[in-house]
Amino acid sequence: MRATTADREQSAIYTYLICLAAWAIPGAGHLLLGRIQKGVTFLVALTLMFLCGLWLEGRLFPLEIRQPLVALAALADMGVGVLFFIARGAGAGAGRVVALTYEYGNAFLIVAGLLNMLVVLDAFDITQGRK
Amino acid sequence: MTSHLGLMIVFAFFVSIVFATLMRDEPKQQLRFGGQLFAAFVVGGITLGWILYFFPL
Repeated sequence: MRATTADREQSAIYTYLICLAAWAIPGAGHLLLGRIQKGVTFLVALTLMFLCGLWLEGRLFPLEIRQPLVALAALADMGVGVLFFIARGAGAGAGRVVALTYEYGNAFLIVAGLLNMLVVLDAFDITQGRK
Repeated sequence: MTSHLGLMIVFAFFVSIVFATLMRDEPKQQLRFGGQLFAAFVVGGITLGWILYFFPL
């Protein structure tokens, strides 16, 4: 039986919602897709990695288009979803440049965001039946 | 804990967990692959550190 246009649209909306959830809360996409073990692992690992970055006095970079490298770092930071906005809202992630662990903190924060982007792509692949 | 080596180990730990979970489906395989990745990151980092030690800036 052929899928109707409405079915395809509904499927596309479902895919986008899963990807949005996966971005917003690390592991949420996998949890919604029934991959509980993977979802919980991503949730715990990426959240802890992000918190480690804050603890190490890393900076949550602002989205400054005039400074391309800062903007790219900000986009990577935002990859971790609502955690980024909660931390920014709470005044965390100001970054202390003179701290010994500042660069390590940045690496933790940026990589947590980038890894979550990979997790979103994995959730997308699952919705497309590729995994 | 906040030594260079300690932080590198913590970083390798988190990255290994996420990659292993992404790339393997069975928990047993994830554990095995994660362990291999973790060892490769740590040994690779230390090896690279020693190589760079002989080529100062």
